[in-house]
Amino acid sequence: MIFVQKLSVVAVSSLCAAGIAQAAEPTPEAWFNAGRQTVINALHLKPVKKPAKNVILFIGDGMGVSTITASRIYDGQQKGGHGEENSLSFEKFPYLALSKTYSVDQQTPDSAPTMTAMVTGVKTIGDSLSVNHLVAHSEPNAGTVNTNKLTTILEQAKHDNMSVGVVSTARITHATPAATYAHTANRDWEGDADRPAGATVSDIAAQLVDFNLNGGIDVALGGGRTRFIPTTVTDPEYGVAGKRKDGRNLTTEWLSKHSNAQYVWNKAQFDAIDPKTTDHLLGLFEPSHVHYEADRLAHDKAGEPSLTEMTGKAIDILKKNKNGYFLMVEGGRIDHAHHSGNAFRALTETQQLAAAVQAAVDSTNPEETLIIVTADHSHVFTIGGYPQRGNPILGLTQGVGATKPDLDMLGLPYTTLNYANGTGYTGASNLQPAGSKSFKAAAGAWSSGSEGHNPTTFSPATGRPLLDSAKVENSDYLQEAIIPLTAETHAAEDVAIFARGPQAHLFHGIVEQNVIYHVMAEALGFAKDSAEEHEDKHHHGK
Amino acid sequence: MKTPNVLKIALMVGLCFSTVSFAESNNEPQATEVACHYVTKLIPQSKTNASSNDWFFWRNPSMIQTLDADGDHGELWQKTANGSIQYRKLYHADKTAVEYMPADMPTNNMNFDWLKLSSMLNQQELDALKPVKKTKILGHNAELRKGKVGTQSIEVVWLLDENLPARILRKDQTSRVELNLVDMTSLSSAHKKPISVEDINNYRQIDAVDFGDMENDPFVKKIMQTEGHHHH
Repeated sequence: MIFVQKLSVVAVSSLCAAGIAQAAEPTPEAWFNAGRQTVINALHLKPVKKPAKNVILFIGDGMGVSTITASRIYDGQQKGGHGEENSLSFEKFPYLALSKTYSVDQQTPDSAPTMTAMVTGVKTIGDSLSVNHLVAHSEPNAGTVNTNKLTTILEQAKHDNMSVGVVSTARITHATPAATYAHTANRDWEGDADRPAGATVSDIAAQLVDFNLNGGIDVALGGGRTRFIPTTVTDPEYGVAGKRKDGRNLTTEWLSKHSNAQYVWNKAQFDAIDPKTTDHLLGLFEPSHVHYEADRLAHDKAGEPSLTEMTGKAIDILKKNKNGYFLMVEGGRIDHAHHSGNAFRALTETQQLAAAVQAAVDSTNPEETLIIVTADHSHVFTIGGYPQRGNPILGLTQGVGATKPDLDMLGLPYTTLNYANGTGYTGASNLQPAGSKSFKAAAGAWSSGSEGHNPTTFSPATGRPLLDSAKVENSDYLQEAIIPLTAETHAAEDVAIFARGPQAHLFHGIVEQNVIYHVMAEALGFAKDSAEEHEDKHHHGK
Repeated sequence: MKTPNVLKIALMVGLCFSTVSFAESNNEPQATEVACHYVTKLIPQSKTNASSNDWFFWRNPSMIQTLDADGDHGELWQKTANGSIQYRKLYHADKTAVEYMPADMPTNNMNFDWLKLSSMLNQQELDALKPVKKTKILGHNAELRKGKVGTQSIEVVWLLDENLPARILRKDQTSRVELNLVDMTSLSSAHKKPISVEDINNYRQIDAVDFGDMENDPFVKKIMQTEGHHHH
């Protein structure tokens, strides 16, 4: 303890004064008037009760409420303000509800059953994509899966002669985008080689390209290239072999089966796409997930579009259909950054999702397009301590009136953002020494690690590490985690639903996650059809 | 420790020389095809808890593969068609490969040094040691080099024609780490062959980035239990 106290003196004396944001503070009258104005705006709020022509569903994968709050502050501080008063684009939407995310068998869910609930209206079991919970996990039989498949909002839209699109920064075959168009009892069967021998259920990539309802999927943009090309074809960007053992090249099939179709895999090709003359666009920009937004420009070999650019292009292609469109857009790597214990990348990914939402807001009519922004689940990401207003959100906690960071009971400073579990545990791991952990291996060091710090062993930590502002505000810093795990985990608390446009007012209170589907179905006029279909099934069942 | 990183341990024997990793060069010498059997020993000063690990090393110009003696775990580096390096951890008993995507490496400051991987030591590290004498190891031309880096004394017996160590000994006050060549043949005549890349491509392939979303996967659960709960 004496050692720790001596160390803390050194620690604190070496700390730079934190960069507290300095911005003009509203007067008391201004606070009062702003609050009153919010109520006046609410009094004049007129729900759009007519049907929606279009629906855009944005998913921030793992974007829990604490992630939104921290991203709002980070974004505001980037703009020169204190940060807390800032609003991300979707936080300005008029209607809000909370979503209960548990699945049929999980208190804390994964992305498969949560997205299934949102796009089919039915909760199911973990790892299952748009099949009901009566199908056993990893059911290989196509007949059984088909009998128990759940119709998705995307399929209903296509059936109604609307255009449909799926956009993600994850692999386009990853759980969240896949639930909109695929039916399988194992989310990991993304390519044919991922399935067990004898499985007759089609893999997810094949289901995307084989989707035949009314001309098929119109736009699919994301990552996951290798599961679309055979083992005999090498990846154009990195030279790794494709993963399909069935010999199918789904990228060329996409081109041959659709009219006015394009396949692109880099930014230049993407930019050259003319939405006026392109009716079917498949864009696969990485062998696996696309880059984090924070790393995209610096590190991508061939160049890839941002989530905002993909969203804009998708809308420009889909909006040509006079019957309207359904578009799902996922910020898929918020989740990955959290799993790696790196708040910086989670916040910048959320910032990019907010920019994509703004692009959608700017290019659509609120009288005809329902826009929903929500998350599939949360993460164990916390905003703690008593930092003063404008304290750097990635920084050390510094209390009101303080000139130096606050100290814990060991006499050491600490950060505002932390994780309840994960890779930022400060004991020595098999990859990094005791103390603070970094997303990256040391420059030039030989490492067999993947993105971030994904250890397989930890030794017990002794005390806490010595932190300073430069260290914790570095983009690669991993916030401290209490419980050592090889990857940080999802969390079970409710997530927010933000909505604007036709029928957005139907979101209110705390709802089950599958209610999101039912609002979209109501807005698109599918609710009656769905009810009749369910009724028919009920009778047939008898 | 049942982790499939025997080459990493071997490289660590030499890593104390330098942490600098060199980018690939088009001028790098072509490594000969070779099959080696090594033993790595880690001996703490107390001589208690000493550990020994037999492993195999195979090399050709576009592939480096290792395998633990029990045959369950290995690693594979391959040069791709456009010169990128694809790295996979191999879990043969589970017929599963955990893949580390080339796209992820710049984000992580990772830069595999093919020359160092294929020779375990690079020229800069060798140059830091003084040649002592020429010798023969298993009938192959070799050179003994010695030196000191910091508090560690280093001894390397270097196979001159194969560009591989026959022996590395690193000692300091706390421990002694040894790498010893047991057997070496050409790859084509090797009794113990590497697992074919074709067979490995037929394994289940998992992107390491996805581990966080695979908490219910039996394989991920198993390797986390066998590796993740091992405290030193």
